[in-house]
Amino acid sequence: MLILRYSARELLRHPIRSGLAILGVAVACAMLLDMLMLGGGLNSSFESLLTTAGYELRVAPAGTLPFDTGATISGLQDVRDGMQSLEEIDGVAPVLGANLLLEAAGSPRVFVLGVDPADQGIYRLELGGEPGSAAPGETGIVIDRELAGLGLAIGDTMTLRAPGSFADARSRSGRFMVVGVADFLYSSVGERSAAVSIGTLAAITGQADQASLMMVRLTRGANQEYVVGRLRTDFPGLEIASVGQLVERAAQRLSYFRQLAVILGTVSLIVTTLLIGTIMAISINDRYGTIAALRAIGISRRSLVAAFALESLLLSLAAAAIGLALGLLVAGRLESILSDFPGLPAAIRFFVLEPTRVALAATGVITAGVLAALVPATRAMNAPIATTLHREEP
Amino acid sequence: MTGTARREDALVEAREVTREYRLKGDLIQAVRGISLEIQAGDFLAIVGPSGSGKSTLLHLLGAVDTPTDGTIYLDGTDVTSMSDPQRARFRLEHVGLVFQRFHLLPMLTATENVELPMAEAGVSRRDRRNRAVELLERVGLANRMRHRPGEISGGQRQRVAVARALANRPSLLLADEPTGELDQATSGEMLELFQSLNEDGTSIAVATHDLTLAAGARKRLTLVDGRIRE
Ligand SMILES: Nc1ncnc2c1ncn2[C@@H]1O[C@H](COP(=O)(O)OP(=O)(O)OP(=O)(O)O)[C@@H](O)[C@H]1O
Ligand SMILES: [Mg+2]
Repeated sequence: MLILRYSARELLRHPIRSGLAILGVAVACAMLLDMLMLGGGLNSSFESLLTTAGYELRVAPAGTLPFDTGATISGLQDVRDGMQSLEEIDGVAPVLGANLLLEAAGSPRVFVLGVDPADQGIYRLELGGEPGSAAPGETGIVIDRELAGLGLAIGDTMTLRAPGSFADARSRSGRFMVVGVADFLYSSVGERSAAVSIGTLAAITGQADQASLMMVRLTRGANQEYVVGRLRTDFPGLEIASVGQLVERAAQRLSYFRQLAVILGTVSLIVTTLLIGTIMAISINDRYGTIAALRAIGISRRSLVAAFALESLLLSLAAAAIGLALGLLVAGRLESILSDFPGLPAAIRFFVLEPTRVALAATGVITAGVLAALVPATRAMNAPIATTLHREEP
Repeated sequence: MTGTARREDALVEAREVTREYRLKGDLIQAVRGISLEIQAGDFLAIVGPSGSGKSTLLHLLGAVDTPTDGTIYLDGTDVTSMSDPQRARFRLEHVGLVFQRFHLLPMLTATENVELPMAEAGVSRRDRRNRAVELLERVGLANRMRHRPGEISGGQRQRVAVARALANRPSLLLADEPTGELDQATSGEMLELFQSLNEDGTSIAVATHDLTLAAGARKRLTLVDGRIRE
């Protein structure tokens, strides 16, 4: 098409001007993409993290979020039996958490999780077996890669003790044999985690029949809302929430990030509009005489506006292509900085790459760019032809 | 069509045409009650001092501008009562325009510039390419087809502009100061081109200060202060 050729070459006529505009819009596009990825990334990765092990509900001591405080659920066995008697409930996995010290140089702190090895959604075994699989007379422990990094391997023994318990060191410590290495889903970067059976841990910490958290798995097709409501009535002293509710609560806590994302994303769209609007206004103003002459010889407004829209479309397309690549690069860099954020599970992603978000960023920038061109283009179309020619032709 | 009968054989007929501009509260009468006829095959030069209304009249005759008062028939059609898009389409098909400053698209080749009005009119790619080549040969630019305006001389540019103006076989070729940016020798060549096109049957009206160009036309019309001087 002749008009397409015209638009493309018109951009090449001022390579520096076009190039700078493209770079400017590309930076805005990169920012928009990062903000879109940040806005949704936290939520979606938090949700997938919570549902990955297949437990739909979480039960915590009243007024707390899991592991937020040292509070525990007491009367664990009764609570567990009570819950399991509901036909909608398929399984209840109790978790007791405690910080113990490893008897080794520097007494490193280890976050030890007491679980029911037959029913747990806290870690995924990568090597070896479950805590119950130790040789006779030994107590098994599953460690994470951080501990394995300290030189511990399957078959090694290690001693863990409760902090500040020198007096009765024997009862408040335990000797374990490493039986497996696992990926702990909720541990944060640099944190050392290990898992033993819940009874073993309770004996060391003196928290028999207690749990910090319970994870509840529903039978297929069970109504979550209903079960949550039912459990809340039956166990008024406990905090019961579905994963969806927890994600919502987390989203509220993380709403700063989302607001930041919305504001900066909007700013980048405004910058795009202004940049392309400015560059197109300059370029069209340069051509006022020619535009009037073209209209005089009978080229329609529609054709001319289409040519200008095409020019800004080409600008925005080039900018979007560069911007998306740049955005992914920056997101990767920011992700590696933010993944060290203390206290957050390492598996949480701040920036999640979803095709729809990439498409949304590209569409946003391209739409803003094309719309921005329409303002100066329509203005030029409304200038009276004869008067413009009179002004341009001395 | 309403009103009095008009002569069927006139290519252009202007009746009591007036064009006023309002500039910062002042009323400027650029063209005052002009009536004229241009016959098919005419080569008319419109002359007169600067500001006498030559360009304004030319734009009115070419349906680029509409009169404040009066009626203009072009090719048998009342162009003063048309809507804006209708007039644009009418100009595309019936009027060829040449400007003092050429107004070619700098990033298109000579051929592409000539093709532009044909593309707008919906002529097929092949047909418009053939016609562009034919026209550029006609104006003496057989060896300049692939050049862009910046790569050829002013006289050659104006020839490309003439070829572009003729692309859709207009009934009237209008030129406003076509030699205004050209030296004397090149202006002479431009006159020869107009004369030769006119001999081939093209009807032409030129607004000009160029005495040689005016003298070379078949008819002359002098404007003073927006009126025809008898
Ligand atoms: N668009 C306009 N707005 C206001 N005044 C105008 C406009 N176009 C023309 N005029 C005025 O109308 C008068 C006639 O102008 P026009 O351009 O037709 O003269 P001209 O004979 O072509 O002059 P020149 O020989 O300098 O080209 C002048 O006074 C001019 O200033
Ligand atoms: Mg003039």
